[in-house]
Amino acid sequence: MARSSYEYPGYDRSGASYWSKTVVLYALVTTGALWMTLPFWWTLTTALSANPTATSVTFIPAEVTAQNFLKLWERPDILLVRWFINTVIFAGAVTAFNLTFDSLAGYALAKIDFWGREKLFLGFMSTMMIPGMVTLIPVYLILVELNWTNTYQGLIAPLAANPFGIFLLRQHFKSLPSALGEASKIDGCNELQTFYKIYLPLAKPALATLGIFTFMGAWNNFQWPLIIANENEMYTLPVALFAVRNQYFAEWGLMMAAALIIVGPVLIAFLAAQNYFIRGMSLSGMKG
Amino acid sequence: MAVGERDESGDSGVVSAVRDVLDGSLRARLGVTEDQNNLMGFLFVAPNVLMFSVFLLGPVLYAFYISFQEWSILRNAGTWVGLANYVDVLTPLPVQGGLTNLQLNTSVFTDPSVNLFWYSLKTTVIYAVGTVPLQIYGGLAVALMLDKRVRMKKAYRAAYFMPVMLSGAASAVMWRWFLAADGVINNFLEPIGELVGVQLAQNWAGNPSYALGGVMLMAIWGGIGSNMIFFLAGLQNVPEELYEAARIDGASAWQRFRHVTWPNLGNTNFFVIVMAIIGAFQVFGIALVYSEGGPVYATTTIVLLIYQRAFEEGKMGVGAAMAFILFLIIFAFSYHQYRHRQQEEVTY
Repeated sequence: MARSSYEYPGYDRSGASYWSKTVVLYALVTTGALWMTLPFWWTLTTALSANPTATSVTFIPAEVTAQNFLKLWERPDILLVRWFINTVIFAGAVTAFNLTFDSLAGYALAKIDFWGREKLFLGFMSTMMIPGMVTLIPVYLILVELNWTNTYQGLIAPLAANPFGIFLLRQHFKSLPSALGEASKIDGCNELQTFYKIYLPLAKPALATLGIFTFMGAWNNFQWPLIIANENEMYTLPVALFAVRNQYFAEWGLMMAAALIIVGPVLIAFLAAQNYFIRGMSLSGMKG
Repeated sequence: MAVGERDESGDSGVVSAVRDVLDGSLRARLGVTEDQNNLMGFLFVAPNVLMFSVFLLGPVLYAFYISFQEWSILRNAGTWVGLANYVDVLTPLPVQGGLTNLQLNTSVFTDPSVNLFWYSLKTTVIYAVGTVPLQIYGGLAVALMLDKRVRMKKAYRAAYFMPVMLSGAASAVMWRWFLAADGVINNFLEPIGELVGVQLAQNWAGNPSYALGGVMLMAIWGGIGSNMIFFLAGLQNVPEELYEAARIDGASAWQRFRHVTWPNLGNTNFFVIVMAIIGAFQVFGIALVYSEGGPVYATTTIVLLIYQRAFEEGKMGVGAAMAFILFLIIFAFSYHQYRHRQQEEVTY
């Protein structure tokens, strides 16, 4: 039997064992991928069925109707538009604050030589070790004192800064040459102008990655909005879904339509900018 | 940086002293003084320092203080009760009797009416043990398969990533339907069960024996994708030459994985394990939305118990005490992993 052009056994692509291995590989990867995606298909078919039953939604739905979405729209206690706007405001503001604060701090920690810089960076990073549930009660009590429950500022403020963003942007600013900043200062720019005019435009890819990642996290956040927003008008979509679930428990078509409204925008954004999502995720794995 | 102190690049004192002088001359050339740098640096980090102080570090101290208080929701203030909250949460202990005849009191783990904290700790540990390895090594397995020359790699990667983008609340509602007594999963299981003569279809969410399994299933489903991404990134960093050298030495696929891939994934592995354990011990949203902690406390995890005590019953002090005990457990795990990692570290 002729060997392939490579001389090591691992590169032999002609034998029967190579083909059987390939078949097994594809079978495994495809089974797993089906397990990952079929639930989304069932959600869609259930949301599009008038009377969903297990048999009718498993593969191809017998009839397709938009009536579950219409019901969500029409029921007076379901404030779909308001909840959607709340979630956009919440996730949008959290993202904007994170990008602003983290790029300022990331820049300073990478490019300004100030006293105590490395220790401060270590301090920021070690805050990542604090489990979120420890601060949940005290932060809630502080915001009660400020009368910030059921307000946008109460939703947004505790999530406005994030050590991971500082880490990500510091790494990025570090990778940009310092000569740029020196040149701009010789030309008469101050530190803020150097940051804003020279370095920030060069950080756009990192900002986009962090922005998408932060937005997705806030959009899906359940725990914090659940605690701080307990009035119908102030719910974000995931909290609203929980409330709707308690109200219309076994109306699976309605529930799946509501779930789709949460997933839909993120899924569309993902298909449009898959690489930013993946990069954001893999960078979040580098912080250790 | 002070003269003689080692900086992050590991320069010796002399080198960094020389650098300080050069930096000084650079500053002079740019007309920037050291004080100006300190001021600008401080101003740039000020927003973050403020946010972290108010919403992270301050609250940790405040939580510690609250854990010694009996909190009144009406006054939004507490009364000092010393260790009463901790005693209340932890007793009866899993061990009883004096030091000379120590006995195990297993009833705290088997009966939720004896002590709900220990019972929910057991639930959380079962959840963590059942989900973390499958999330991690499932993710690794997928990453290893996709790292090969698979056609349509991007589509496969997207498929595995889809559950990661899902809100836990949405995921729990979806799986509650699939696992309902008349749901899609039972629709698959019923004919298989009939074939082998066993009752496979169950009321998965309504039965205390199976409810936690449903939560774990959806956690594994949602957790494989992110770990796959971490491992795919880690695999990029394994030098290709090592594989070639191993092949020339006649190493089998398993030997290449065991002696080349695995040691080189050490950092990724450490990070992924620590994050997964921290996440598993704080599981909350999916358990609440899926089955609200029930039936019969079967899915009451620790954070869910903290939520119920603090935010449904208003016992902030008890909640804070539980949160601190959990903090200690998580810290002990992370530290143990860290020490373990240091012993194992490989360098080439």
